Amino acid sequence: MAFLELRQIDFSYPGGRPAVLSGVNLALNREGISAIIGPNGCGKTTLTKIMLGILRPTSGEVLLEGRSVQEYTLAQIGRRIGYVFQNPEQQLFSSTVAEEIGFGLSYRSEDPAVIRERVEFLLDYFELSPYRQVFPLHLSYGEKQRLAIAAVLANEPEFLILDEPTVGLDACRKELLAAHLHKVARLGRGMVLVSHDTAFVNRMANRVIALEKGRVQRDSGLEGNVGHES
Amino acid sequence: MLGMNLDPRSKLVIVFCITTLAVVYNTPRALFLLLAGTIGLLLLFRIDIKRVGGYLKPYMLLLLILFLAQCIFTPGGEVLLAAGSLRLVGSRGLLLGTSVVLRLLIVIAAAILLTTSNSRDFISGLVQWKVPYEIAFMVSVTIRFLPLFRDEFVNAVTAVQLRGVELKKVSWGKKMALFRQLFFPLVYGAILKAQQLSIAMEARGFRAYPQRTYLRQLRLNWADYGLILSCPVITLLLIGLSIVGG
Ligand SMILES: Nc1ncnc2c1ncn2[C@@H]1O[C@H](COP(=O)(O)OP(=O)(O)OP(=O)(O)O)[C@@H](O)[C@H]1O
Ligand SMILES: [Mg+2]
Repeated sequence: MAFLELRQIDFSYPGGRPAVLSGVNLALNREGISAIIGPNGCGKTTLTKIMLGILRPTSGEVLLEGRSVQEYTLAQIGRRIGYVFQNPEQQLFSSTVAEEIGFGLSYRSEDPAVIRERVEFLLDYFELSPYRQVFPLHLSYGEKQRLAIAAVLANEPEFLILDEPTVGLDACRKELLAAHLHKVARLGRGMVLVSHDTAFVNRMANRVIALEKGRVQRDSGLEGNVGHES
Repeated sequence: MLGMNLDPRSKLVIVFCITTLAVVYNTPRALFLLLAGTIGLLLLFRIDIKRVGGYLKPYMLLLLILFLAQCIFTPGGEVLLAAGSLRLVGSRGLLLGTSVVLRLLIVIAAAILLTTSNSRDFISGLVQWKVPYEIAFMVSVTIRFLPLFRDEFVNAVTAVQLRGVELKKVSWGKKMALFRQLFFPLVYGAILKAQQLSIAMEARGFRAYPQRTYLRQLRLNWADYGLILSCPVITLLLIGLSIVGG
């Protein structure tokens, strides 16, 4: 059974606007790195928000391990699927960088020592240690992006959806991010990357899904190994 | 269709009258009637009531906190609820709490009326009435930004839940603690964004030239004149009545 399955998804934003997504079918496995690519405005971000149940499809259904995502609360989904928003500012809401990274953990009654250790590790890995007491929205764009990713990784979700994670990162930081994501993938955790960064996609993804005008135009996961998919 | 045709200035006058009444009235009954009237007006303007519900939802927690605070901290009146010898809710507190909540609901409902015009029209309307451009602009920016702040808040609430915090099933104590934790960063974030807006405005020449030209000239039609003249008169009458009657 697929981890996340989308069946015949149609979606349009309220207000009688044209359909953003039509007839999207996708099955994502628990493991492996998939990339969603496509031009601006083709509905990539919308699709990821539907996967998480933030937006409700106009018709069709989204299944998480065979159960409709509507049956889970947002928090239950968030604990299993880590989501990095396209705009990092939309998901930073704490008073300091360190608090932001530890936020999810502190609400899970984890041992404070464990929390501290993991926060320290991520601060160090994403090179945010000098800013631990800084207000998150005062950081530079690339730093905000790294912080948003670190805050999501801190929860150690079993699946990740990252919307444009490399935007604003310099070459060296992109390298570090790739290495960390590879490590996460080797632990058997799956992820979806939405990206315009062709080099990054080619190097990370073992499946590429091309979206165009709200439809799946091409899906490398369905070509070579159809038997493997189902 | 009525909402589309009215001049933004007429809407401002209506909203001003409604909020004045909301401040003057101090019994829950009068406030409730005023709220009903305001909602009736929204219906008349063909505003989707479901959308109004959506607008109000983010404020519910705030309203509840205000209500409880008023109930508990206002002395006087009969004791309605007590824990042993400790009085919790008195009749005066209950009345005041209800009034405060109704007042806020009225103000929010009235403000929704303003969202039916675009902000350009507000500016040119006010400027035609010789209000300085800077002030007119600030008024319209406020109106324009209210829904944005609401979206910001909704976004933050989504982000918090996605980090694994259950908001629906958590106890009130924890909800309050979370609210306290988020309040400062959210407000400060909003201020930062407003600052960026002001820099962007100056970069595009805001206040660089003393004269401004306007593409659209607004004209008041007879319905506008009727409303602008009658609303304040009705409001004054209602205030007078409430003083005499109360
Ligand atoms: N909240 C919204 N209300 C109305 N329309 C929206 C909203 N958000 C997005 N859209 C529209 O839906 C379409 C798809 O948007 P989406 O953000 O999913 O695109 P995207 O593929 O992520 O683009 P990008 O590459 O720029 O990130 C766009 O045409 C956009 O204008
Ligand atoms: Mg996008």
